[in-house]
Amino acid sequence: MTPRSDSAPDRFTLELIKGALNAARAEMEALVARTAMSPFIREKKDYFTAFLNPKGELVVSTSLTLAGNLVDAILDEYPAQTMRAGDLYWYNDCYGTRGAVSHLPDMAFVMPVFHEGRLIAFAEAWGHLWDVGGSVPGSISPFATSVFQEGIMIPPVRVMREGVENEEVVRILTRNSRFPDMLRGDLKAIMAACRLGVRRLTETVERHGVDAVEAAFEAMITETEQALRARIADRIPDGEHAFRDRIDSDAVTDRSYFVDTVLRKTNGSLEIDFSASDRQAQGPINFVMDDSVPKFMLGLWMCMEQPGIGMNGGFERAVETVTTRPGTLVAPRFPAPLGLRSHTMIRVTTSLFGAIAQATGGKASAAPSVYVLYYLRGRNADGSEPLCIEGLSVGFGARTFADGIDAVYYVAQENYPIEFAEMEFGVEIEAFRIHRDSGGAGRWRGGCGIVRDVRVLSDEAVIGMRIDNCRQPAFGVNGGMSGRPGRVVVNPDGPDPRELATMSDGNRLCKGDLVRIVTPGGGGWGAPVDRPADDVLSDVLDGFVSEAAAARDYGVVLAGDEVDQAATEASRAAMARPGKMFHRGGYYDAPDDRLDSGAGA
Amino acid sequence: MTETGAGFRVGVDVGGTFTDMILADGAGGALRVAKSPSVPSAPADGFFGGMDRILARSGVAPEAIDAVLHGSTVATNAILEGKVARTGLVTTAGFRHVLEIGRAEIPREANLFSWVKPRRPVRARHIFEVPGRIRLDGSEAVPLDEGALRGIGDAISAARLDAVAVVLLHSYANPRHERRVGEVLRGLLPEVEIALSVDVLPVFREYERTVATTLNASVQPVVGHYIGRLAEGLARREIRAPLFIMKSNGGTCPPDEAARGAVHLALSGPAAGARGAAWLGRLAGMDDLLGIDMGGTSADVSLVRDGEPARTTAGKLGEHPLALPIIDIHTIGAGGGSVATVNAQGSIRVGPESAGADPGPACYAKGGTRATVSDANLVLGRIPPHLLDGEVALDGTAAERAVRTGVAEPLGIGTVAAARGIVDLVNANMTGALKVMSVERGLDPREFALAAFGGAGPAHGADLMRSLGAGRLLVPRYPGILCAIGLLTADLRYDFAVTRLQRADAYDPTATEAIFAELTDRANRRLEADGVPPESREFQRAADLRYAKQGVELTVPVTAGGPVAEAALATLVADFHSLHERLYTFADPGAPVEIVNLRVEAVGATGTLVLPEIPAASKRRPEPAGERPASLDGNGAATPRATPVYRREALLAGHVIEGPAIVDQLDSTVVILPGQSALTDRHANLVVTEGTP
Repeated sequence: MTPRSDSAPDRFTLELIKGALNAARAEMEALVARTAMSPFIREKKDYFTAFLNPKGELVVSTSLTLAGNLVDAILDEYPAQTMRAGDLYWYNDCYGTRGAVSHLPDMAFVMPVFHEGRLIAFAEAWGHLWDVGGSVPGSISPFATSVFQEGIMIPPVRVMREGVENEEVVRILTRNSRFPDMLRGDLKAIMAACRLGVRRLTETVERHGVDAVEAAFEAMITETEQALRARIADRIPDGEHAFRDRIDSDAVTDRSYFVDTVLRKTNGSLEIDFSASDRQAQGPINFVMDDSVPKFMLGLWMCMEQPGIGMNGGFERAVETVTTRPGTLVAPRFPAPLGLRSHTMIRVTTSLFGAIAQATGGKASAAPSVYVLYYLRGRNADGSEPLCIEGLSVGFGARTFADGIDAVYYVAQENYPIEFAEMEFGVEIEAFRIHRDSGGAGRWRGGCGIVRDVRVLSDEAVIGMRIDNCRQPAFGVNGGMSGRPGRVVVNPDGPDPRELATMSDGNRLCKGDLVRIVTPGGGGWGAPVDRPADDVLSDVLDGFVSEAAAARDYGVVLAGDEVDQAATEASRAAMARPGKMFHRGGYYDAPDDRLDSGAGA
Repeated sequence: MTETGAGFRVGVDVGGTFTDMILADGAGGALRVAKSPSVPSAPADGFFGGMDRILARSGVAPEAIDAVLHGSTVATNAILEGKVARTGLVTTAGFRHVLEIGRAEIPREANLFSWVKPRRPVRARHIFEVPGRIRLDGSEAVPLDEGALRGIGDAISAARLDAVAVVLLHSYANPRHERRVGEVLRGLLPEVEIALSVDVLPVFREYERTVATTLNASVQPVVGHYIGRLAEGLARREIRAPLFIMKSNGGTCPPDEAARGAVHLALSGPAAGARGAAWLGRLAGMDDLLGIDMGGTSADVSLVRDGEPARTTAGKLGEHPLALPIIDIHTIGAGGGSVATVNAQGSIRVGPESAGADPGPACYAKGGTRATVSDANLVLGRIPPHLLDGEVALDGTAAERAVRTGVAEPLGIGTVAAARGIVDLVNANMTGALKVMSVERGLDPREFALAAFGGAGPAHGADLMRSLGAGRLLVPRYPGILCAIGLLTADLRYDFAVTRLQRADAYDPTATEAIFAELTDRANRRLEADGVPPESREFQRAADLRYAKQGVELTVPVTAGGPVAEAALATLVADFHSLHERLYTFADPGAPVEIVNLRVEAVGATGTLVLPEIPAASKRRPEPAGERPASLDGNGAATPRATPVYRREALLAGHVIEGPAIVDQLDSTVVILPGQSALTDRHANLVVTEGTP
């Protein structure tokens, strides 16, 4: 495509176009939220919408770092010159699209936008569907050992030609789902969102002219690119900055896996190198990572305080290279299973933070924990089988400017109220509280996880668990300490408490058993002795930190509801200042961890 | 209760900057409006400043007043600014951190790395756990530990708390424990204000119920004190007429109810505006309306369908969820005082930052130097070089300088083009908000009329109508006092609700009828106490339904008359399917439907207002009062050109003005774009359409 910038639009027109595109994208999301049928989309809000330029670069999008290169794989199969207005392309094939989506329940739809016969953009939407076939209802199983067990795979196909739907393709898919009506409803919703996007973009072109709109695309991407480039130039020195983080297990084998990140800056150009990462896992934590993912994570962190800098292809342009090695955790070989790829995706974030910390003298977020899910499948004598799948919140990492977020799941995903869970899931919740002392100590404290006590009311039940950060808690940065791990205990206060493996399934329970699920906290940032004593006191009074931990980790001595100033000063003066950049169990420097096989847990 | 027709009714709407008053008799023979400054530090002074002003101007004697109606931002400001009572919470043992944990999500539009969780209304240190547990079905699992309450009472005293909320799990199913906690604490702590969740919001979802109840407790003393001041002041003036206060649900209530249910006042002002827009729209034959109330710092968008303001139970106040029935309002930071800024990359933003009333826009000449929307409007000639008919002169040079140095020079463009750009951007922001309220709710704005009000709304309404494609634009005769009009036209309104889950295979018409009857009985007693005669009372039954496993309910009115029987529930479920289809584009008639909450809305018809009619024009075209150079639309003709200016008070029924034109009036300016025309109706409203009417 040749750039046509003979009549560059003025700044106001650019802003108006920007506003129109953002509003159109929000409208696409609202349409998906309003018209999709499955609970994952309606209630967990697991969907994404975007506009892209003809090269497939994001122009405006949801700020979720899951997006891959959404268009290239389609263009391989259907070259641009064969596309026509009213075409709609569709896929969920993670391997076939090189990570445009990263597990099979995510179904992506892309529609080209034409102006006077010329391709000017794509409108795109994807959503997480309830069931796309595979070995278990909901398609995702911690025990999967092949992507073939996780559902049907749709390579890029044309589901609509010039506005006419290829209904046969849809029939093939819905035949493979346990909930075909719901699936058909979701597909309709997502396709409608794409068509709406095309319509809105066309209206914007009619209003402002195609040159102005194309110039606005480029201006938005350039603005984002320049913002990130300036940050990189400013904050990341030339050289190699490396870090390695570890995942507890892949649920299938009992071993940990690591993600290795090297930020390599040479003459101002930046490479993010994952090639030293662990080999791919047998279990479903493998992550087919598109290059854009770590670039978006880097960009969102480094440009977060700049209003108006949107996540788009500019972040991609600002980072020259992402390197991965086939057969590793972040570039698995077909057909390795992918269902729990979020465990690795979040460790990509944390190892990237670790490398940024190395590069910047600690100016990075400490590690967040990975969100938690449990699957409680009950069975009653009358034959009914209540099913309870709950996502539980964890603690996020402390930032350079604020505490980590306490008790949070992920972007836009809500928990179930207790009074709703008890109505629907055949359980009684007997406690729901902050997991005290789980947030890593620091100048800024890591976010705390939670404790949920779940009483089994059905005659018998089986529980599956996925909690990461139990053997490898979220690390602390720049003197901040690691978050504390999670655990699962059955009947913790009874005579015979039983500890369950945190990545496991098939655990049997009886009526009346109480399952205590304790989720991990995030890492702390900065030396704990630098945290104002009054903030520590506040945390003690509000139940985030115990009095013992206040004294041990922070050197803050309390006398009743107040700080004992003299004792605190004395205690803090006697505490050694941490000299190393990271903390997990003990303080360490990252390169050591890369040489041997890991710091203490 | 007041008799309508004889005496006067006064509406006093106290906003952030100005207090608007309206005085009317029931026959439509007299209508007066006035405006005076608000006194944020002493809101009651602002109230009486306005009251005295309008009484003095109209010469109406205190004893001739039949009712005083009031919209207040006291609760809103207290909550948003955190200037509330020291508040505690008593909750079920094991659940101290429910408030802290919340719904555990980062907002969709946020950057997950920079988002910071908002502070909760009560710190966890002031949350006390009491042993005792009610189950889902209302049965008692663990008896209430009354002994523990004594210790909690001591702790509340020691912490010097002024207000305490009580929220126990499943109290909507059985309030016995919660009421007992309230009783014991009131006995132990007579000075402390107590709010029970079963009184504030007796429906399930513990986090939202806890937020509502703690907010209620925290503003109870503030609102109680304020209402006390109002009562004293009214007595001193020998105004014996009853006082009614506007609630967020678009209805009014007497002072005792307002003090007890203080959180219901959270959106008092905007709700009055939506109510006023609905009333005026109905009068003008526009039953489906989008309202935009644009003031100095923000714009409130509301939606009216079939003559009634749309309501929601999923609203927000600041960062707090507000699960009460409230008028659905979407607020954005777009007003006359919104500031335009240019960043290092050359990006331009207008709002949400505002110059407010102090220093205000540069043209106010009160020390403001930054370019605002008002400054841009003045540079373009869209507003006159003075406010309030010359009482306040605007500084055109200061406006020009602010736009030039703040926006034009950094961008290397002309001042007029910069001013045009500022107006375009703020219009685009408001168009977006109007679309959120319509398109994102599945409604087509082209099927709606637009009502533009607030001091700044009428200058932007014509642009917004055009960008939305709305059919008509309604500009009220007094755009600044639509909230006050809303006060006079609002009825007493109470919402009663209770959660009672009924599964698809176990609907219980008898129990449903019993609950409806109980709620109606409570509502009836409430209206009785307010002195509403039986023939003026109306009760609407409704239920919240959902598909099994869904996490969100829809409120469906019970249309069948008489006691609820099986057939009525069948109709209810059928109506649910069609409402679901309409709102979400699909229904699932095969899926089980659950009835979750039962609701009774009680209305005491008290609102009344008759607008005076103006004389008919003898000819179609009015004479302009003059002209001024103005740039009204941005389509290439940015250079100001001579534009006819009309006086609003000179317009008569049937007058038609063709754009481009400007209509100046005391408290606002109406812009009519080229290609549009404006008809004055018999109530002196302007109705703007594209083309010629």
